[in-house]
Amino acid sequence: MIPFVLDIITTAAILFAVASGLLIVLGVLKIVNFAHGAFLTMGGYSALLITQLGWSAWAAYPAAFVSGFLAGALVEHFVIRPLYERPLDAILATWGLGIIIGQLITIVFGREIRFVQTPIAGAASVLGETYSLYRLFLIGAALVVGGGIAALLGLTRLGLEARAVIMNEELARALGINSSFVRLVTFCLGAGLASLAGALITPLSSVDPGMGVPWLVNAFMLVLVSSVSLVSLAAAAIVLGGAQVVVSTFVSPVLGGLTIVVLAALLLRIRPQGFAHE
Amino acid sequence: MNEGGAGGPVVAPRRRILPAHASIGLGVAVLAGAAMTVAPAALDTYTVNILVRSFVYAATALTVDILWGYCGILTFGQAAFFGVGAYAAGIAFTYVGFSPQTAILALLAGLALSAAVAAIVGWISFFHGASPLYVAIVTLALPIIVVQLLYSGGTFTGSSSGLVGYSTFDLSVEAWFAITGVGLVVLTVVAWFFVNSDFGRVLVAIRENEQRCTYLGINTSLLKILLMVAMAMVAAVAGYAYAGYTVVVAPEIASFVFGTELVMWVALGGRGTLIGPVVGTVAIDLTSAYLSGNLPFVWKLIVGTIFVLVIVMLPQGLLPVIAAAARRLQRYLPRRTARSSALPVSLVPAASLVRQAFGSDAPALQIIGLDRRFAGLRVLEGLSFTALGGQLLSIVGPNGAGKTTLMRCLSDGFERSGGSVAVFGNDIAGYPPHRVARFGIGRSFQTTSLFETLTVAQCLRLARFRLDHTAMWSRSAQLALPDGAMRVLAATGLDRHLADESRSLSHGMKRALELAMVLAQDPKVLLLDEPTAGLSRSERTLIGRVLVDLSRREGLCILLIEHDLDFVRDISTRIIVLHQGKVLLDGSVEDVVKSDLVRSIYAGKVLQPAPRVAS
Repeated sequence: MIPFVLDIITTAAILFAVASGLLIVLGVLKIVNFAHGAFLTMGGYSALLITQLGWSAWAAYPAAFVSGFLAGALVEHFVIRPLYERPLDAILATWGLGIIIGQLITIVFGREIRFVQTPIAGAASVLGETYSLYRLFLIGAALVVGGGIAALLGLTRLGLEARAVIMNEELARALGINSSFVRLVTFCLGAGLASLAGALITPLSSVDPGMGVPWLVNAFMLVLVSSVSLVSLAAAAIVLGGAQVVVSTFVSPVLGGLTIVVLAALLLRIRPQGFAHE
Repeated sequence: MNEGGAGGPVVAPRRRILPAHASIGLGVAVLAGAAMTVAPAALDTYTVNILVRSFVYAATALTVDILWGYCGILTFGQAAFFGVGAYAAGIAFTYVGFSPQTAILALLAGLALSAAVAAIVGWISFFHGASPLYVAIVTLALPIIVVQLLYSGGTFTGSSSGLVGYSTFDLSVEAWFAITGVGLVVLTVVAWFFVNSDFGRVLVAIRENEQRCTYLGINTSLLKILLMVAMAMVAAVAGYAYAGYTVVVAPEIASFVFGTELVMWVALGGRGTLIGPVVGTVAIDLTSAYLSGNLPFVWKLIVGTIFVLVIVMLPQGLLPVIAAAARRLQRYLPRRTARSSALPVSLVPAASLVRQAFGSDAPALQIIGLDRRFAGLRVLEGLSFTALGGQLLSIVGPNGAGKTTLMRCLSDGFERSGGSVAVFGNDIAGYPPHRVARFGIGRSFQTTSLFETLTVAQCLRLARFRLDHTAMWSRSAQLALPDGAMRVLAATGLDRHLADESRSLSHGMKRALELAMVLAQDPKVLLLDEPTAGLSRSERTLIGRVLVDLSRREGLCILLIEHDLDFVRDISTRIIVLHQGKVLLDGSVEDVVKSDLVRSIYAGKVLQPAPRVAS
């Protein structure tokens, strides 16, 4: 029973970490970033590179975040900025970007599946049950990511401006907020978080050029049902992630992989506002 | 303009005309079809082999173009329907063995299954108030689900390696080339007639302004579901041909990645052009086949890069760019007369509908205790009034009084927070705008919301969609309109601009078209939100006269929001003053105009006794 509950919590934590970058980009830029999966893959390969260089495995996280952040800056400037008025086209362009990033990675690293060292190995004892220490670490990592975003939004000037842009962009601009700067930084953060999440999941999933895509679809679904709110995202990650664990454990892992997609699509049909209150 | 018989309604003989350049297009198509039968002799076997596959892909891309390019439905799901058709053939030929009967049954099974799945997907995706992003999500999920089902099918579906080497049609590669090539040409021609027909314009109208379509009484959700079902069946046939030809079915052909590739080909070729996606798909697939052997990753990188560049810089794709270049070349050739893609359309009077208004005892509009709240803010509060046929009721009040919100609550059964609204005794609760329109409500909008690329005649025909049969494969040369709409067109001179795109009209013309579109629906209750704003004085007078006639002679119930009190005074039979979401005054023109209360509200003053000045 305890491993089962821990599976649900850690799965939710991973999903939350993976989806949070997508959420802030959708919230501020009103754009679905389909390159999110590619940024995730970039993070995985950043971790691989750090390991190959022989550096501490802990260095993978800041390295992944920074590489994602910088790539995000380029992408925002050249691709996202011209497409603010065309959200459906932005989906396509970011998907194309995902292909470009994926092919570049393939050309540099090849198509083989790689594995990355964990910074934390072994198992811990939780209430008498042994459980993977790394998965427990991910709960902490998700809390840090969520707390970090909340602090950034709630405590900084940039966060205040970002919230203003989320609520009413026109008014925010009229009040002198440089909304294009807010968008740039938000996109960079979103890409950085995606890349960080990619590094975080590498010990659990193998590293290959297509590793981001399955995560992208689940993250996308979670973000849509949570209506741009971190609290709703956490709730959605626990409920839908929990359902995924239940189905995978008791029915079949294949159907488990579909649980989030199917439940989220149906939930949006019945309750278009998803997990949000209003 | 054809005024028709002044006496009774004239039932015009239905005349259908081919869209412009149909004959040239058909000629090209026949040549292309003929080329398909001789081309294999001129090409090497490898190329012929690849082209058969490209043709099948192009047919599928065509369905994406109709859904996305014409109707605005961004779909990643056509791959799933392609896969359904392919697996229907693969499974049947593997387990039952190939025979003509199996072949037919497998095709029918693929068609039925894809249609059923499309109907479910459509039902999930399209509903009143659904975001256009939502269908992209659902169709993204669909191929993922289909692929997972194929994986979990074990040996039956062949899991990840699929089914290979079943017995199939005994046809040569050249025969396959001819069948798929001619099939693609025929499909493209049929699709061309479909999108250029009157019905095709409805699809474009849904893309441009779906909300407005619903207020014209068009069940856009149903049309989109039907279109999705039809396109799913075409994709299933393409998948069936693919399975019959390649003798391989694998999960990749039903995958989300193939679904996105289809969208990419359409975007590169030129969405909403039919020819662009077909040529684009064939060109890209053929090039991939040659280059992917030597430079697989670099080629994909190049396609990805071009795709991003096209989306960012040339959202209409490459075909329009090439076409523009060709036109520039053409300038050096002998000149042809300037052409307009729009056809001449003549107006004829519509057979007047029997007005149920007189047969029914129920009032045209009965509003009881209407409430509308927005997150704590009460915009309308306990509004009650009854309006009858023959009344021309003006709603006046300062900005923010709730006038436009009232219009919305009367035309959309989901809009209000409390109370009831009945149209001729029919409670509109739970009815979306297109159903409310069927009760006889016609609504015009305060902000001009037209269909930019549609011509004036096409906009008007759209308004008649609910009442008239709309041609699915051709364009009608005649447009039947009721008298009121005809008079508005004549009064404002719009009847001389029938072939102009509505975006090229002046503001005043747009307002007039808006009004004519509402009147074209032959409504029994008219909800007009500032119909004459931006019109000249003489145009206003003429339109005022039309409105008065409609209410007096034909017994229409007209609700009018207006800021021009002179105009209101001239034409109204009754005035309601709305203030802060409540009825402040309800009475005849005399009562209201003389009211001090109204004057003080309009002057923005607090009502108080006149100050006495000591003398």
